[in-house]
Amino acid sequence: MIELLIILAKIILIVGPLMGAVAYFTYAERKIIGYMQVRLGPNRVGPKGWGQPIADAVKLMFKEIVVPAQSNRYLFLLAPVLSIAPSLAAWAVVPFGDGLVLADIDASLLYILALTSTGVYGIIVAGWSANSKYSFLGAMRSAAQVVAYEIAMGFALVGVLIAAGSLNLREIVLAQQGGIWHWYFLPLLPLFLVYYISGVAETNRAPFDVAEGESEIVAGFHVEYGGMAFAVFFLAEYANIILVSMLVSLLFFGGWNSPFEGIWGLETLFGWVPGLVWLLVKTSFFMFTFLWLRATFPRYRYDQIMRLGWKVFIPVTIVWLLVVGVAVVGDLPPWWG
Amino acid sequence: MSFERILFYLFAAILVFAALRVISSRNPVHSALFLVLAFFTSSALWILLEAEFLAITLVLVYVGAVMVLFLFVVMMLDINFAPLREGFTRYLPLGAVVALVIVAEIVLVLLRGFDTLSGGAPAPKPADYSNTRAIGEVLYTDYLLPFEIASVILLVAIIAAIALTLRKRPGTRHQDPGKQVQVRKSDRLRIVEMKAEPRAGRAES
Amino acid sequence: MLDNYLPILVFIAIGIAFGVGPIFAGFILGPHRPDAEKLSPYECGFEAFEDSRMAFDVRYYLVAILFILFDLEIAFLFPWAVVLDQLGWFGFWAMVVFLGILVIGFIYEWKKGALEWE
Repeated sequence: MIELLIILAKIILIVGPLMGAVAYFTYAERKIIGYMQVRLGPNRVGPKGWGQPIADAVKLMFKEIVVPAQSNRYLFLLAPVLSIAPSLAAWAVVPFGDGLVLADIDASLLYILALTSTGVYGIIVAGWSANSKYSFLGAMRSAAQVVAYEIAMGFALVGVLIAAGSLNLREIVLAQQGGIWHWYFLPLLPLFLVYYISGVAETNRAPFDVAEGESEIVAGFHVEYGGMAFAVFFLAEYANIILVSMLVSLLFFGGWNSPFEGIWGLETLFGWVPGLVWLLVKTSFFMFTFLWLRATFPRYRYDQIMRLGWKVFIPVTIVWLLVVGVAVVGDLPPWWG
Repeated sequence: MSFERILFYLFAAILVFAALRVISSRNPVHSALFLVLAFFTSSALWILLEAEFLAITLVLVYVGAVMVLFLFVVMMLDINFAPLREGFTRYLPLGAVVALVIVAEIVLVLLRGFDTLSGGAPAPKPADYSNTRAIGEVLYTDYLLPFEIASVILLVAIIAAIALTLRKRPGTRHQDPGKQVQVRKSDRLRIVEMKAEPRAGRAES
Repeated sequence: MLDNYLPILVFIAIGIAFGVGPIFAGFILGPHRPDAEKLSPYECGFEAFEDSRMAFDVRYYLVAILFILFDLEIAFLFPWAVVLDQLGWFGFWAMVVFLGILVIGFIYEWKKGALEWE
């Protein structure tokens, strides 16, 4: 019983800050994209608009949840749950430092891949159960897109596994110790790019947001949702963005390792910074990149998205897997000498 | 009763319930979603058997991929299910025979195999034991031939899927990015040289 | 090993609660004033004139089937990647043959135009 309470406390320690991060990430999104478009962004609620996310949450709480008459009631309300449960549960195996992990299972990377692949159900069920053309179109687009990019994502992860020789996220980070030139983004550069772009596509973010496509299918699969039911979808999407950013930092950018490791002078100068701070700095950078991409690129056309996933990413990853395999088995310098 | 045993009976109950709902619910989409639940709980049972890699792969492949296809089919085929249900009584005898044969097979296997399997729960593994590594060590060495045959089966499946479902629609337009990149100025633009003409309607001065 | 999976079970339960809780709260706190117009599916200002559940292009199924096959391939790659360093060149060539056979299938679907969208 005590054990269970400790687990609950740890989960709250993960989910609480995560929810806070989601709330202020929405604020950061509106502010950053505002500045990129020479606007101010939200600035009315509280000093400099700091109260905006809380005001939004309260507003959504008191909005009516409309359940369309021709919809499938149970599935309609089940869909947001199917969407958020995997995106939260994936955090169970994310390490925040050496030993700072809730569930230290051996196959943690496989677990994350499996859980994120179940996230597509929320979208499909939402799109189908609402019985609206827009949401159905959005769901179909999104499902085919997620499906195409998940393969590229899986291949990219296999490259990391070959390099690290382990499925465990903590061991993958430990394998990157010893300075910035040991981080996997250098030897696995094509896989890093494929993984990050696939991550953007999997979360249905711009420029891959054909599933929502405000200007084409008016928010796509969740067009019929309002109030808290919509808020749950929103939470799931943003929790997924933060998860992808953190995974990129863990898998390719050395996780909690300091970037100044092995550099004379700087290493001792920044030696006091805890590893968690480095991890969060890296994660924030990739979260910022999500917004940067959204503000910069126009939406991809659907056939271009499918082409990129199947015809560019999959061949690139297969070739690079063999390159990494040769390097690891043949103990080739500079990384595996 | 140990905690693991309680969990086992809980998951088993959910699994049996979900499996029953798969065949008893009237809406095919509900059936498909109950099948997802069934796969999920069987994965939990496999984890109780310490088969970590297989359990997660079950979720990855069946829940994450196979059931997505099932949902695609039942959601998009737009079948009217009333006529299908009418055939139920007609096919009932055949279905019953098939079910009986399957049950008999399972019973035969279990009757012979249960003595060796009844060693109770598998020995708990240490936390750093890697199930994946154990599979990898034998799959690509001792079981090399079945592994390569698996790839041939997958190849046959790819070709069969394309042969069965690929339909070319006339009149569709494709974009060929290779050609687009290779376009040169001379392909699209023709520069004509001609003498400058005096502007009409204005006196030269 | 099972001890490490208990937190995951609890976390999945919490995840479900995080989905159910807010929706429940929304139903309690939010107003309920349904009318026929509000409950009709979203369209561009006119009445919905047909059921939205329509038959879709068969190529969606093809993409889904190909996805399953490649997903299986990835499932085979995971244990291989973990033990590759121990297996050495023998394991490497075993996978080259495996991938080679599947690349034949990939080239076939590419040449057949199964990956084309218009």
